[in-house]
Amino acid sequence: MTSPLEARSLSLDRDGNTVLDNVSFSVAKGEIFALLGGNGAGKSSTLLTFLGFLEPSGGAVLVNGKTVGSDVASARSAIAYLPEATSLYGHMNAYENLDYFLNLAGRSATQADYDTALDRVALPREARSRRLQFFSKGMRQKTAIALALLRETPILLLDEPTSGLDPVAIDEFHDLVKDLAGAGQTILMVTHDVYGACQVADRVGLLRRGQLVGSFAAEKGKRIDTETVHAAFAEREAV
Amino acid sequence: MVSDLLREIRFLAKDRGALFWLALAFVLSIIAVTFGVTEVRDQQRTIAELIEEDTADRANALKGQEDWGGAAYYAFHLAYAPPSEFAFAALGQRDSSPWKHRVRMLALEGQIHQADTKNADFGLVGRFDFAFLAASVAPLLLILLLYDLRAAERTARRHDLLVATAGSSRKLWLPRALVRVLALSLLLLIPLWAASSLVGTSGSVIIQASFVLVGALGIWWLIVELISRIDASSSVLLTALIGLWLALAIIVPALAKVAIETRQPLPNGGEMLLLQRETVNDAWDLPKEMTMAAFLEEHPEWRDHAAIEQPFEWKWYYAFQQVGDLRVKPLVDQYRAARLARDHEAGMIAFLSPTSFVERSFEKLAGTDAASMIAYEDSVRDFHAQLRAFHYPMLFREEPFDRNLLEDIPGFVPSR
Ligand SMILES: Nc1ncnc2c1ncn2[C@@H]1O[C@H](COP(=O)(O)OP(=O)(O)OP(=O)(O)O)[C@@H](O)[C@H]1O
Ligand SMILES: [Mg+2]
Repeated sequence: MTSPLEARSLSLDRDGNTVLDNVSFSVAKGEIFALLGGNGAGKSSTLLTFLGFLEPSGGAVLVNGKTVGSDVASARSAIAYLPEATSLYGHMNAYENLDYFLNLAGRSATQADYDTALDRVALPREARSRRLQFFSKGMRQKTAIALALLRETPILLLDEPTSGLDPVAIDEFHDLVKDLAGAGQTILMVTHDVYGACQVADRVGLLRRGQLVGSFAAEKGKRIDTETVHAAFAEREAV
Repeated sequence: MVSDLLREIRFLAKDRGALFWLALAFVLSIIAVTFGVTEVRDQQRTIAELIEEDTADRANALKGQEDWGGAAYYAFHLAYAPPSEFAFAALGQRDSSPWKHRVRMLALEGQIHQADTKNADFGLVGRFDFAFLAASVAPLLLILLLYDLRAAERTARRHDLLVATAGSSRKLWLPRALVRVLALSLLLLIPLWAASSLVGTSGSVIIQASFVLVGALGIWWLIVELISRIDASSSVLLTALIGLWLALAIIVPALAKVAIETRQPLPNGGEMLLLQRETVNDAWDLPKEMTMAAFLEEHPEWRDHAAIEQPFEWKWYYAFQQVGDLRVKPLVDQYRAARLARDHEAGMIAFLSPTSFVERSFEKLAGTDAASMIAYEDSVRDFHAQLRAFHYPMLFREEPFDRNLLEDIPGFVPSR
């Protein structure tokens, strides 16, 4: 079976600098893969390459077995993307934002669907008809996650999804992601949160200066050991 | 596509910045159209008053006349070009070329060109009529509506999410820009359509004018689209676009005007006036046979009636008036040809500037272009020739003055 997401010897240049260097991994259907790395390691760039915004300088990225460059639109339609900086419209309320972006994706949903999704991310009801410019960072992030849920795509690309969320919300989010994977969605999330990655992911890849330098998989019925990953992360970063 | 458009209409309805420019377009259009309609009504009122005075004045002047020569001398005749049903949208050359004359059977060219000196020249920018709004101001509003569609989303770091969600940039930017272009066109056109139906402009003219406006905005849209592909900040894009607007809307037309005027020098209207006046004045002192010989070259049919025996005879008087016209004819032809040549060259250059193109198209539709004004002057010449054709038999055959025949004096019939 082809993997929904695959990077094959992926290399990437941005403004003449090597950002990714011969990176290979794949994410199976229903799997949660966390790409872990420090600032500037190339995590966000990897996601942008899957979305067709950046062109590999070597190797390839594949979505559902097809090279992204050959059909960007169909790759994007299979993916819901949660960007690093949440960037919904400040002058619109949560419903209006969901409405606009869903319509943009060619989907439609009812008010009840919106509320269900916003309930799942625990955005307070009384906030939902207020403009996003009055939202806290975490509330904006929750709205953006709700949008990704409503897209109902087979693949989720999440860039620092828990940034701005409080500890309770982070735990709830991790449960939510596991539910989604359980229901068959394929999830690639990038983060520098070692603990979070180990909590939620089936596999963790360690990215350092554009190279995939380590990989950790959860054993059956267990979580990935945070200590081990943290040690690897810290050691590599220290070099 | 329909749902994309509906989505972007809803989006536009919440974009206060865009709504401001659109409201401004609507208000400016109302102002321009109101101004044009008022101006045309003024001109129509002036013409109506002149028509009324014309008959009364002439009746008054003819009352005491005892001979044909005196009747022709004292009777003024009104000639005018009524504004077209679309003139309110493009006042055009009606600002700088005369559209009304009171002519007598004296030397004509002086009477035509005398009016030139009295008309104001509004120069580069012209009046604030709809044509000016559509040609010069509308592109600027379009630039302000479109220039940072992409750049603003980039700055807000929303660009990638938007495009990733839409799948392709065309599904997003095309409807988003199209809605703005259509809204701007519509808000500019609604006052024009309203005024047109008030004034009774023909449907085909309105349709053509609407196409010209939308087409020109389409071209400006293309320009903005190409420029804003450059990956630069909003302010750089805006500067580049305003620069381009200045070039295409102001500088190219101004330079073209200077270049054309240098290439096609126009004989001075005053020169014609002076030459004609001199010719006519000199005729008093010249041997009468000389004047009559020159006149007979043009009118051999009066050869047998051309002997002048008295110190003053009307037929000699009118003959030297016409000789005055004949003497300036080369200058007049040159003047006319140069104006047509200028107009032709301006028409070619208009393809370089959407602004000039729109302005010229509107003037053509409104009958306020150079060609229409020249056609009007020609119609004054034709009318004057009819006056001469009526009076010459009376004067040369020395027909007895008959008050009843005065009713047969031709009157000016405006074209259209
Ligand atoms: N817009 C850009 N243009 C050119 N180079 C860029 C751009 N954005 C990032 N880079 C470079 O690409 C490299 C990887 O950046 P990337 O944003 O992928 O890192 P990251 O792992 O997501 O880091 P962070 O944890 O800080 O988000 C960095 O060296 C950075 O300098
Ligand atoms: Mg990043």
